[in-house]
Amino acid sequence: MRTPLIEMRNIHKQFGGVVALDDVSVTLHRGEVVGLLGHNGAGKSTLIKILSGAYEADGGEILVDGAPVTIRSPRDARANGIETIYQTLALADNLDAVANVFLGREIVTSLGRLNDAAMEHATSDVLAKLKVVDLKSVRAPVSSLSGGQRQSIAIARAIHFQAQILIMDEPCAALGPQETAMVANVIQELKRQGLGIFLISHDLHDVFALADRLTVMKGGRVVGDCHTADVTQDDVLAMIITGRPPA
Amino acid sequence: MTDLSSPKAPADHLSAQELADHKARVMNDKKKDLIQKFAALASLLLLIVVFSATSDAFFSVSNGMTIGLQVTSIAYLGIAATCVIITGGIDLSVGSVLALSGVVAALAVKAGVPIPLGMLAGILVGGFCGFLNGVCVTQLKLPPFIATLGMMLVARGVALQITGARAVSGLGEAFGELGNGALFRVVRIGSDGFPDVIFPGIPYPVIIMVVLALGVSIMLSRTTLGRHIYAVGSNTEAARLSGVNVNRVTLFTYVLSGTCAGLTGCVLMSRLVTAQPNEGVMYELDAIASAVIGGTSLIGGVGSISGTVIGAFVIGILRNGLNMNGVSAFTQQIIIGLVILLTVWIDQLRNRR
Ligand SMILES: Nc1ncnc2c1ncn2[C@@H]1O[C@H](COP(=O)(O)OP(=O)(O)O)[C@@H](O)[C@H]1O
Ligand SMILES: [Mg+2]
Repeated sequence: MRTPLIEMRNIHKQFGGVVALDDVSVTLHRGEVVGLLGHNGAGKSTLIKILSGAYEADGGEILVDGAPVTIRSPRDARANGIETIYQTLALADNLDAVANVFLGREIVTSLGRLNDAAMEHATSDVLAKLKVVDLKSVRAPVSSLSGGQRQSIAIARAIHFQAQILIMDEPCAALGPQETAMVANVIQELKRQGLGIFLISHDLHDVFALADRLTVMKGGRVVGDCHTADVTQDDVLAMIITGRPPA
Repeated sequence: MTDLSSPKAPADHLSAQELADHKARVMNDKKKDLIQKFAALASLLLLIVVFSATSDAFFSVSNGMTIGLQVTSIAYLGIAATCVIITGGIDLSVGSVLALSGVVAALAVKAGVPIPLGMLAGILVGGFCGFLNGVCVTQLKLPPFIATLGMMLVARGVALQITGARAVSGLGEAFGELGNGALFRVVRIGSDGFPDVIFPGIPYPVIIMVVLALGVSIMLSRTTLGRHIYAVGSNTEAARLSGVNVNRVTLFTYVLSGTCAGLTGCVLMSRLVTAQPNEGVMYELDAIASAVIGGTSLIGGVGSISGTVIGAFVIGILRNGLNMNGVSAFTQQIIIGLVILLTVWIDQLRNRR
């Protein structure tokens, strides 16, 4: 069998008395989109936050390309090629698109000053590739942008830094139908380029259209893992609700 | 680099209404920021005009000099306060910390330490107080308001304790050089045997203010640290997830604030050539007010040094002009209090976007 791009083994996470993740194992391969499904509180966000370095697991291990890695911070995750697009659009509102794309990884001149010209150029470039038009200015505060444009900036950030693994937690929750279609296109394209993508979404229709494999969670455990082609939406819905694989 | 082909560009599908809304939003933000700066500058000019009309002595070189010197201490504190407030914090301890720093410098000099070293010790004590504030905020997770309120009492208490609540005087003329000296001052001994000041020079405190303002302004707008300061105040969680070391950035602003308070203490005590443990009471409010008048948002994420310097002049001129017009200290307090309330209210309005 191929070595998975990402393997999370026996992950355990507890918040005080609440067990958010109980012995959870998931895998993700190159060029694969895995849909993470489950009700609110199933543990999806917690699982991917551990992968993206926002939380630390209490137990279990993470392997990238078969090699165990330690992810204690978002920096560690990024160093392993893991980029995250958050459910709540995680941008600094008062900063512009350029500053947001490069936040935490600014380009500086040899004198240590911000090289805004280079960053602006790179931002315009990657946004053009994402076909984000109508962005009045990459130097306007992102608070003045639409939800789709803001999400594009988050995606642009991941693409510019050549992510291998992309985590998208409800990337379309705050978007209209046209903007959702745009994000779907981006996902298809990134998959074609060999990225592995974890996609969390409540919209079964979207997930079926995009995901190759589905991992269903309930109460902090994985209750099902199947290829999208082998199941119907009803099967999956039943799995989400009952927590049992389809008969 | 990737080549993404999206057949549908989002803009094609934005309705005219959406586009119009969007444009209005962008326009509004820009307009509001401009109006804020303009309003601060306009009120500054208005104050100058009004005070010039009501007091003969107001618009003169010597009073200009006095104002310049008064403004410097507000500006030092305001510049640092701007950084703290941009991160979404607040530092209420600077008035007390400056007193502690000043008396430490004076006591050190009295004990025989050379003046520059003594003052350096004072500034370091200020920086250390700021460091403690930062630790309370970032490690103990205390609200900045509470942490620095505690420091306000502690630093004042220590200043009173180590001086026995008495002023430290007899520091020697050289101690006054920093606060009273000037660069390029030209003095000639006149025919009557008394010195004539031909050119008053540029007072050291003013030079320090210019250097500090330029330095911090460049730090905020041109360096990674500065960008991270805005990011932390704008969206702490986003900054953290982007790999910004939020605690270190926050800690830095408090250390800067404490250090600037230390500097202010040394300059102020040098000007009086006496160290007063009771100096600087309520200066934190002037500092915060100057930042807010200059457009710094108490919510964080927004602010500029140029605005704060304008704000410092507004406060300084207001105080000086009221003095020149013989307005009593009590009435002055009332007026300044109302100005602070007004500016914070304007800040609230600005953030109701
Ligand atoms: N920061 C937190 N502190 C305490 N409990 C949390 C925290 N984050 C998540 N939980 C709990 O962990 C469980 C899983 O939540 P989450 O991962 O957000 O689920 P999902 O994303 O699938 O809706 C829930 O019971 C939730 O209340
Ligand atoms: Mg969630």
